[in-house]
Amino acid sequence: MRAKKRGTTAEELNLVPIMNLVTILIPFLLMAAQFVSYAVIDSTLPAIGPPVETEEDDPDEKPLSLQVMISFEGFAVGGNHKLLNSDAEGDERGVKIPCHSPGCTYSVEGGEGPEDAYDLKELRTLLGNIKDDKPEEQNVILVPDPSLPYEVLVMAMDATREDPEGTSTEDADAGCNGRCLFPYVVISGGVGAASGGE
Amino acid sequence: MAGKKTRRAVAEGGLTITSLMDAMTIILCFLLKSYEASDVTVTPSDDLKIPSSSALAPIKSTVQLIVSQSRILVDGEHVVNLQEYVDDEGRTTFEVPEDEKKGQLISELFNNLDRKAQDLKQIHDSTGLTEAEFKGQILLQCDRNLPFSLIREVMYTAGQAQFGEFKFVVVSTSGG
Repeated sequence: MRAKKRGTTAEELNLVPIMNLVTILIPFLLMAAQFVSYAVIDSTLPAIGPPVETEEDDPDEKPLSLQVMISFEGFAVGGNHKLLNSDAEGDERGVKIPCHSPGCTYSVEGGEGPEDAYDLKELRTLLGNIKDDKPEEQNVILVPDPSLPYEVLVMAMDATREDPEGTSTEDADAGCNGRCLFPYVVISGGVGAASGGE
Repeated sequence: MAGKKTRRAVAEGGLTITSLMDAMTIILCFLLKSYEASDVTVTPSDDLKIPSSSALAPIKSTVQLIVSQSRILVDGEHVVNLQEYVDDEGRTTFEVPEDEKKGQLISELFNNLDRKAQDLKQIHDSTGLTEAEFKGQILLQCDRNLPFSLIREVMYTAGQAQFGEFKFVVVSTSGG
């Protein structure tokens, strides 16, 4: 009876070699691990070349030339489109989207970012409506104020590139969060840029 | 009788590492998932805070230009120091010292990038590999508080040195 009991006792697996291996692997993987994921936003300098000839009389034939100016007052969107008052003169041309707060200020200590100061929803709605009308257009020119912080420029690139709340279609919006708006961003010299720049 | 009792106590006192093994296996799986075999290193510091974005495009290895609050580096090599000043509106901002510039062109940065462009072209010519073709791509890691005027000068200088395709590195908030 006793002999039978001793025979059924399972021998314990020796885990020490595996433990050794795992202990070596963990510091190595800790060093190579990335807990923050990085990405890139593609952009180019404005192309220099002769102006493209278009039919002056037909407004539909004119290139959209969508421009978003970013300043400490908010956004100003311009281009050849009826939603952008392109037929108006002087200051009436384009659409202004003011900030939520005067001077577009935000408190970094209070956990705020530029997205709390600028009216991104309004900008995305306007760009979405233009995109509905001209779905083939992909380009937008950003014209930031020279003193504007870089993070505001990145935020504006996001806002003009995609609308996370927009309805996406699989083919047209590949690589975007939500709906793709104008994914090809060109950065221009800036409001009041010194001559001899871009 | 007393001797038997002692022997049994010693036999049961062996280290149980099964639970430790379980924990290690979970940690190993987590670390293997977050393992990133990339030769592009992004090292944020106090004077280099990368802005956040919803962008998804992955980083590809190319020439790296780092613009922090204190200096400009190309592929880890120091090029130019920046100076801090307070503008008319009372904002603390950063600029390249005037003696380092010719108009908007940052001289030392241009020389460095121009040399890089020549080297990359030479590598392509000698190897003939399509992967080594010079496309004018440059990775820009910039501090989020830098003024656009400084970024513009850096972009202009890079453009003059035939690097016209910019890839702005951002912290992805999309979890990609």
